[in-house]
Amino acid sequence: MDWSLIWKAAIALAGFGALLGAILAIASRRFHVDVDARVEEVLEALPGSNCGACGLPGCEPAAEAVVKGEAPITICRAGGPDVADRVAKIMGVEVGSTVPLKAHIHCRGGASVSPIRAVYQGVNSCRAAEIAVGGGKACPFGCLCLEDCAKVCPVSAITFDEDCIRRVNVKKCTGCGLCSDVCPRDLIEMVPADATVFVRCKSQYTGKKALSVCKVACIGCKKCEKTCPEDAIHVENGFAVIDYDRCTDCGDCAMVCPTDSIQLWAARVGHPEGGEFILPEGKKKGKGPDYAVDTDELEMAVAEVSAEEAVE
Amino acid sequence: MNEAWRFFLLFFGAAIVANILLIRFIALCPFFGVSGSLETSLGMSISVIFVMVMATSVSWVAWNYVLEPLGVGEFLYIPAFILIIASLVQFVEMVIKKTSPPLYRAMGIYLPLITTNCAVLAAATESVKPGFFTKLNIPYSYGFVESVVYTLGVAVGFSLVLIIFAAIRERLDMAPVPKFFRGVPIAFITAALFSLAFMGFAGMFGL
Repeated sequence: MDWSLIWKAAIALAGFGALLGAILAIASRRFHVDVDARVEEVLEALPGSNCGACGLPGCEPAAEAVVKGEAPITICRAGGPDVADRVAKIMGVEVGSTVPLKAHIHCRGGASVSPIRAVYQGVNSCRAAEIAVGGGKACPFGCLCLEDCAKVCPVSAITFDEDCIRRVNVKKCTGCGLCSDVCPRDLIEMVPADATVFVRCKSQYTGKKALSVCKVACIGCKKCEKTCPEDAIHVENGFAVIDYDRCTDCGDCAMVCPTDSIQLWAARVGHPEGGEFILPEGKKKGKGPDYAVDTDELEMAVAEVSAEEAVE
Repeated sequence: MNEAWRFFLLFFGAAIVANILLIRFIALCPFFGVSGSLETSLGMSISVIFVMVMATSVSWVAWNYVLEPLGVGEFLYIPAFILIIASLVQFVEMVIKKTSPPLYRAMGIYLPLITTNCAVLAAATESVKPGFFTKLNIPYSYGFVESVVYTLGVAVGFSLVLIIFAAIRERLDMAPVPKFFRGVPIAFITAALFSLAFMGFAGMFGL
């Protein structure tokens, strides 16, 4: 056996290694690029799943954009307020007015209260149904129940039951707003996570017409508008809209709503979804099946709306 | 045979007739990995051309002036070339990061991928041991210019096929492909047909 070969091989490889190592060492000094140390820190704080919900290719570009000031510190939708807090700390700024958001679906019309006008058998997507024929639901403003929002939700926070009642699990909801973007009927609003008063309908029909397509529709009676002490709720385009900047969560509007379209959110720690919708305490229970509408009061309100419309 | 024609044949043979992806089936992982979209395949192609030519030039020098004179080339070429290619890619990455940020942004993500790309090693090996992968014992070794032209051919062939394949896959995504074949399976079938088509070049110009 020729031992000199082994020596030669060792020398050759060691020589290459030493030479290349030296070149790299010199190059890393010579061609050193100062990277903002904050980029790495921000990158650490981000979830690192490169989900792309922020619109950038991944977490590293997002971190760079944040450090350069091209993106807000709240850029990470998936990370939510926790990540925003940590990023804010690194960047030395206050998170400020970025209240955490959660999704609220402005429709509570299930199959039992909202009749269908046709059986939709097309592509299984709300957006497709909306483009094609407007789906099978009689109410042209309500939830189509084809679950586009549930499919797009990255944390499975939106669920539908057999009656097509949709719920948002506020424990899971990160406030990313993807569901709000996909809803073809614009029913999902991102509301402040601490809001407690909700309008659960977006029907532009008023009075009898609204009730004809859904038993639990907002009829646009403006009782809430008249009751609100803070001028925080207004009827626009036939349905009530709450201005959460002004709302003080007093619940007076929910108290007077004849169709129970305005309800209160009761956060419950032990509840699997983080809470549930309730009626204000002391509100008269009505005769309706699964909703508490006082039928006499409702008839009066409908009559009022019809009278007002006739005057106009 | 005149010199220019010889170089053309060397280039053409490396790029088309003995295409590294479709005829020799080397570097199939980037072939399927980065052919998902035209944009990434373009970035990868440019990086591969750049790195392959540089890697071969350096390893040719290492082979002809160090490994071969010492008589250790026959068994040491793989570790030596891997060492050289990996360091070279690192070095190139540092240099372009400093000198040309736009180029770094375009090629940056692909450079580390290429470090261990077998096509680069194959080109470097073939340029010092012609006919190695075709199991031909050719008693001939390329000169420096020849090996660069040869490697350029290999890299251009790689890029050409990668880009064409990415374009095909982009169309396949929208084509009415049966459910079971969607995604990678249809890509494999397409690659096979593509490979068959490239076999048609065999024997062109007597190559």
